[in-house]
Amino acid sequence: MGGGQVGLTTRSAYWRGFAIPGVVWLCLFVVVPAYAVLAMALGKVNLLLEPVPAWSPGAWNPGWVSKAFSGALPGGEYWPAVRNTLVYVSVSLALCFAIGYPVAYYVARHAKRSKTLLIVLMVIPFWVSYLLRMLAWIGLLSSDGYVNKLLIDIGIAHPPDWLNGNAYSVILALVYGYIPYFILPVFAGIDRIDQSQIEAARDLGATPWQAFLRVTLPLSRPAILAGAALVVLPMFGDYYTNDLISASPRTNMLGNEINLFVQGGPEKNLGAALVLVLMAILAVLMLYYVYATARDARRLA
Amino acid sequence: MASGGVELRGLTKRFEDAVAVDGIDATIEPGEFFSLLGPSGCGKTTTLRMIAGFEQPTAGQIVLDGVDVAAVPPHERNVHTVFQSYALFPHLDVFGNIAFGLRRRRVGKDEVRRRVAEAIELVELGGLEHRRPRQLSGGQQQRVALARALVLRPAVLLLDEPLGALDAKIRKQLRLELKALQEEVGITFVFVTHDQEEALSMSDRIAVMNGGRIEQIGTPEAVYEQPATVFVADFLGVSNLMDAEAFGDGVVRIGEFRLRAGCGEVAAHGAVKVVARPERLALLPHGAPRENCVPGMVERTVYVGANLQVITRLATGETVQASIANTGESTTYASGTPVAVHVPVDALRVLAPSTGGAATPPGEVTAEPERAPAVAS
Amino acid sequence: MSLPARLRNPWGKPRFLVATTWLYMAWALLPVVVAMLFSFNQGHSRSVWQGFSIRWWWGDPSQSIFHDSLYTHALVHSLSLAALDMVIATPLGVLLALGLARWRGRGSGAANGLMLVPLVTPEIVMAVSLLLVFTQLSLVPFSLVHLGTVAQVVGQVTFSLSYVVVIVRGRLAGIGPEYEEAARDLGATPVAALRLVLLPLLAPAILASMLIVFALSIDDFVVTQYMSSNASTTTIPMFLYANARGGTTTPALNALASILVVTTLFGVGIAYAVYSVLGRRAAPSGVSALRELSGLEAAA
Repeated sequence: MGGGQVGLTTRSAYWRGFAIPGVVWLCLFVVVPAYAVLAMALGKVNLLLEPVPAWSPGAWNPGWVSKAFSGALPGGEYWPAVRNTLVYVSVSLALCFAIGYPVAYYVARHAKRSKTLLIVLMVIPFWVSYLLRMLAWIGLLSSDGYVNKLLIDIGIAHPPDWLNGNAYSVILALVYGYIPYFILPVFAGIDRIDQSQIEAARDLGATPWQAFLRVTLPLSRPAILAGAALVVLPMFGDYYTNDLISASPRTNMLGNEINLFVQGGPEKNLGAALVLVLMAILAVLMLYYVYATARDARRLA
Repeated sequence: MASGGVELRGLTKRFEDAVAVDGIDATIEPGEFFSLLGPSGCGKTTTLRMIAGFEQPTAGQIVLDGVDVAAVPPHERNVHTVFQSYALFPHLDVFGNIAFGLRRRRVGKDEVRRRVAEAIELVELGGLEHRRPRQLSGGQQQRVALARALVLRPAVLLLDEPLGALDAKIRKQLRLELKALQEEVGITFVFVTHDQEEALSMSDRIAVMNGGRIEQIGTPEAVYEQPATVFVADFLGVSNLMDAEAFGDGVVRIGEFRLRAGCGEVAAHGAVKVVARPERLALLPHGAPRENCVPGMVERTVYVGANLQVITRLATGETVQASIANTGESTTYASGTPVAVHVPVDALRVLAPSTGGAATPPGEVTAEPERAPAVAS
Repeated sequence: MSLPARLRNPWGKPRFLVATTWLYMAWALLPVVVAMLFSFNQGHSRSVWQGFSIRWWWGDPSQSIFHDSLYTHALVHSLSLAALDMVIATPLGVLLALGLARWRGRGSGAANGLMLVPLVTPEIVMAVSLLLVFTQLSLVPFSLVHLGTVAQVVGQVTFSLSYVVVIVRGRLAGIGPEYEEAARDLGATPVAALRLVLLPLLAPAILASMLIVFALSIDDFVVTQYMSSNASTTTIPMFLYANARGGTTTPALNALASILVVTTLFGVGIAYAVYSVLGRRAAPSGVSALRELSGLEAAA
């Protein structure tokens, strides 16, 4: 029976062969490392004061994990970092929306002649190295940089020190760094909305503002969620923005704590455990995202 | 043995949720133009794909010139396909497309050139060898698809609704050309379509399919004039399907009128259906004494150029459609005119009631009933 | 009495939106332009303009980027990693894309999900996990990899794979199975059909994803830094990170960063051109090409 060769649909095994090298790679370098994090979080410190992962479940030591999770709760040692993270991410997301949505909306719906140019301009920051964009702001925000020059010109004699433990700077940098990740999916989503649906609303008596509220905004919800996901997920693991812009433990995010412990030396177990804390927070957010997307899909179907 | 004969024996294809082809049997003679006709979802395309080798039958055999090829992969069968969307390779020019199969067979360069030139001449595409598919019109693309398959001299050529994507006028012209081509080349053509006019005008024989089964196989005349089932009667043109009671010997009673039916199941008794093609009906002045007449009143007349479709409500309550040729006479069948509808004895056909097949509401000029697709065709 | 402007044209552009958009564009791009311009600064400052000079690019015999070995080394190492990443991730990703798109059996869903994981995890998680396996796990093949260039390549390939798959798979969906069926109908074996028909049609997407991988690699920071061993495995982003706040660094840093920007934009520009122009036959429109290239459809 020539089952293997005949018919595109029955030759699944043939195509599976194509996927095998990639899947093997991903198993080796995504799945096993994920387990390594778990094993290290549940590991211990050996006699040489080196952190050691516990590979077999029998040797799991929950001490570090409980330390990390309890420390991440309000009042704990790592709470400031977690709190900072939650605050910075929420504020940044709100700002990304406040700035990004109108821009995406304008380019998608109104820009006619300049649309292509605007799209190109929208995409460029997405591809400009994150570090260069931070470097740019370090230059502008330094004590003799243009921002302070401008403030002094306006009359503010002693402008604040932007680059030292200043949470506002960190938020500004996060927004600046991640907003392209928000704008592009939102733009794509709004662009996809059928113009005739909006016209129908106007035809039926809605003012432009009402048409926006009742048609465009709800229809762009999936795109907003997608943009939010693309911003929030990487931002939670961010540590370099803080290091570059603030360089002060006062504004540490969860990523900074993880970075310190893992790169530092003998506290890798704690670092790994904090990674689990991070993943737990993200898992909750992902669940919300999946729930919201499914609910939207049902409503808009 | 003459080549190009296909035999389908108990061919069945089951998908996870439905049966697409349900045990069909058919014998396609070498060199004939054979059509699979049916509504979307009837299984005709699935059958074609099984003959080509892209679907594997769940059960049954596909016998090509005496050999069961059900297990043979598509690239080894001497059967080639013209796809519905032509599937011309965009990155090759016309020559490259047509030469593709020859090159797979490692045919020498000179012979490739010769045979491609032959094929191009056959489909009348001279001068376009170096164009890309996207630079060709729909009709030209279709010819390339034909040439590409024919150059390989297959035993059987499969065509999957090849005229579907074309404008009506080009379609009519290509019908004649395709038929002429098939007669010239002498290869067996298996043609899938849902357009009954296409099937009737081009085929040597037609297999009418419905719900995965073949309802009838026959010549166009046989299938049109002597439909075996209600579905076939209804699918090909207007059928003027009516309920009747049969008393044997061709005597039927429609409403309170007794008529004589000359074909179909004349010996039947009990509840039956009768059909009469609209072009066989005659509209006589009311009260004219003739056998097989039913009085009625004209509801409306639809003018379609070549003829008049006169929709008449019979005294029995049924509505029938008569097709009167446009001879230039000014006889008007104004709405409300009383007439006597005469059905010649040999035009009234008795059918035993069968599953499937709904009455086509008269007044539809090109009656093609829409069936809800049960499975993907 | 004339109607207010708002009512005269029911589809007119609201001025507030126009202003916001152009202001945003300026805000998004001007700092970058300023930073790049500072690479031409006469003096040592990266925040105070002191005149025009190309000393940091070429003029200064010891401190310009092409003369200071630290800078040139970072540049060379970045380019090497990007080339290696491109060369490994692209074929692997194309194969994976083909497999995932057409494999329907058990496990295909899990494999698909696995491919998406790098796209949705924060980089630090990936970086930490790879660091741990390469330093703590004494099993082959992990024990064969020490931190350094090899580890950096492995890390970069791991996240680049997903982008290649997304781009190629999107294109595959646009092409459909018909052309290969036609090829096989005409006598080509499945492998020949793939080689002669599918791959030429996929070529624009493959090329585009190569360039995208290049751009991603050049700009990558977290994974590359975690996988590095010593100063010899420093890339441009790492170098920028280490020196951005230093008091002693010069505008040569800006010059180095400018190279990064120009290379990336150039690469992405070519990728877009290749994808939408060469792939015109069954190609998506310009806007959706941009979307696809941004690799956003996957996580969205």
